Amino acid sequence: MNIWLYIIRKVVNMIPTLLGVCLIVFVLFNLVAPDPALLLLGKHGTVEQIAQIHRELGLDRPFWAQYFDIVKSAFTWDFGYSWSSKQEIWQMIKNGAFPSMAITVPAFILTNAIAISISLLVSFYRGKMLDKSVVFVCVAMMSIPGLAYILFGQYFFAYKLGLFEIAGYEPGFPNFVPYVLLPIVLYLIMNIGPDVRYYRTAVLDEIYQDYVRTARAKGLTEKKILFKHVLKNAMIPILTYLIIQIPFLVLGGILTESFFSIPGLGGLTIKAINTSDFPVIKAMTILSAVAFMVFNLLTDVLYTLVDPRAKLK
Amino acid sequence: MAEKVLEVKDLVVEFKTDRGTVKAVNGVNFDVYKGKTVGVVGESGSGKSVTALAIMGLIPNPPGRIAGGEINFKGKSLVNIAGEEMRKIRGNKIAMIFQEPMTSLNPVFTIGDQIEEVLELHQPNLDNKARAAKAVDMLRLVGIPSPEKRVHEYPHQLSGGMRQRVMIAIALSCEPDVLIADEPTTALDVTIQAQILELMKKLQKELGMGIILITHDLGVVAETCDDVAVMYCGQIVERADVKTLFNHPQHPYTKGLMESIPSFDSTTGVKKERLQTIEGMVPSLFELPSGCNFQDRCKHATEVCKGIQGEPHLRDIGAGHQVSCFHPLN
Repeated sequence: MNIWLYIIRKVVNMIPTLLGVCLIVFVLFNLVAPDPALLLLGKHGTVEQIAQIHRELGLDRPFWAQYFDIVKSAFTWDFGYSWSSKQEIWQMIKNGAFPSMAITVPAFILTNAIAISISLLVSFYRGKMLDKSVVFVCVAMMSIPGLAYILFGQYFFAYKLGLFEIAGYEPGFPNFVPYVLLPIVLYLIMNIGPDVRYYRTAVLDEIYQDYVRTARAKGLTEKKILFKHVLKNAMIPILTYLIIQIPFLVLGGILTESFFSIPGLGGLTIKAINTSDFPVIKAMTILSAVAFMVFNLLTDVLYTLVDPRAKLK
Repeated sequence: MAEKVLEVKDLVVEFKTDRGTVKAVNGVNFDVYKGKTVGVVGESGSGKSVTALAIMGLIPNPPGRIAGGEINFKGKSLVNIAGEEMRKIRGNKIAMIFQEPMTSLNPVFTIGDQIEEVLELHQPNLDNKARAAKAVDMLRLVGIPSPEKRVHEYPHQLSGGMRQRVMIAIALSCEPDVLIADEPTTALDVTIQAQILELMKKLQKELGMGIILITHDLGVVAETCDDVAVMYCGQIVERADVKTLFNHPQHPYTKGLMESIPSFDSTTGVKKERLQTIEGMVPSLFELPSGCNFQDRCKHATEVCKGIQGEPHLRDIGAGHQVSCFHPLN
């Protein structure tokens, strides 16, 4: 099957999913969430004031019209204006994307490159002391909550030793670099444990397959078996794991960004939640859903490149 | 007498486990001659496959190790040989095919790649073009139709029988002196089994390699082997040429195996007699009895078999026929 035809069909299939996401957003924000008029006016709003805000926000219109608004915003990416900052939301998202990615993209590449290398190394020495120690360290690192790393990093490395900026951000290269270094290091420390363990399992699952025995019987070296035969097969679970992380990169780390005062998308989201800025939360929800669908499609397409058995159906 | 290419002498393979050390192979002897086939027969767990892996130098260490004995390939010892040196023999001079044709090929490389890989390793003087041509030739040799097209296909596009042919093509591409076939037909349909065995016999005639055929199927042995060694609990209990073994089995275990083959009258197609089974189970290697390992399942067992005079040893009873039993049948 032609790959472009496949992509077009998958994209068309995304439409009903997106309509469903819009429905959930509509139910959550219009039926379950508290009345935004009360949130905006506080306890002491009069009936007239409430009615006026309802008119301004279009909440007095029939449900289908309000649902249609959400659907329209999901397809036109015109999410309207923020209630608290009065800025255009699409502009806010564009402004926030770069600071988020300035941290997550280098952190993601670095962490996964190191984790895959370590996992290949320990798979080579599976069951030996090195392997056991690495797994032990990984579990130990995973057992410490992310918050502890952030606070320790800010206090010890940034405040006490003065190696990094404690918090903040300056736009433009290279001004932002000192501000993103510590978040990148912390991302690495928080994620390397689970990543190494996942990749190690993926590689070890392949090492005990029959085709590895065949490769040995051919007289290949263990190194060649690991890097050629095993790695190419292990790429299937590795790719899945890699790509599913990507939407989180775009959306930023909520915890990291709020602790380091990075004006990224994570910070944007947490601020919107704190101020009940419904349009921004809606926009971020729809954006996440779209990001997940797009990268799932990308995973499917990449499978066909590494696994000849994968058929585009 | 044909040239002796491989000699296995008093081979002992041990595995360390949580419950102690077990001898998966305990004093196995046999020889492989050029152009001849040795059958190694036995139930699951009798040490057949471990013997094969020991010859290939592929015993996982730890937990396993060759604890004693000799494996001599054309007069050269393969026990305690350096890894580098063994790799030059493995896949080149001694090749192996496995029981699981469905999973023994790497799913993400074309079959052409997988044949060429072994050529690249052991025949570095071939250039890319010659290697590709040789891969097609090998596929043609093992009877794969339109090999020029098939060479670019992936294993999942082939049937089990075809995949086993590809495995044979890989194993034979460096024209080995010894081919070890570990239950090569067990996972295949009966009709395909016969084709694969025919193919192996034909290629043996053309290339003159010695074959070690590991199987639990005496029907396969009768059709393909010249000599047979029957294994039980890591030891050889009977050894003979195929005719002698089938006409005059001496060990009660060998006889039992033969009686458990279904037989049909070839003219009427009616089952001749009730199928016999060997009562009981193979004893655990952790709890081997003293004396003969087969005593608990043997109808002829007496006090002697319990080891009051030691264990039974493989002894000659004439014409290259050896048996390890206190009460051989004739």
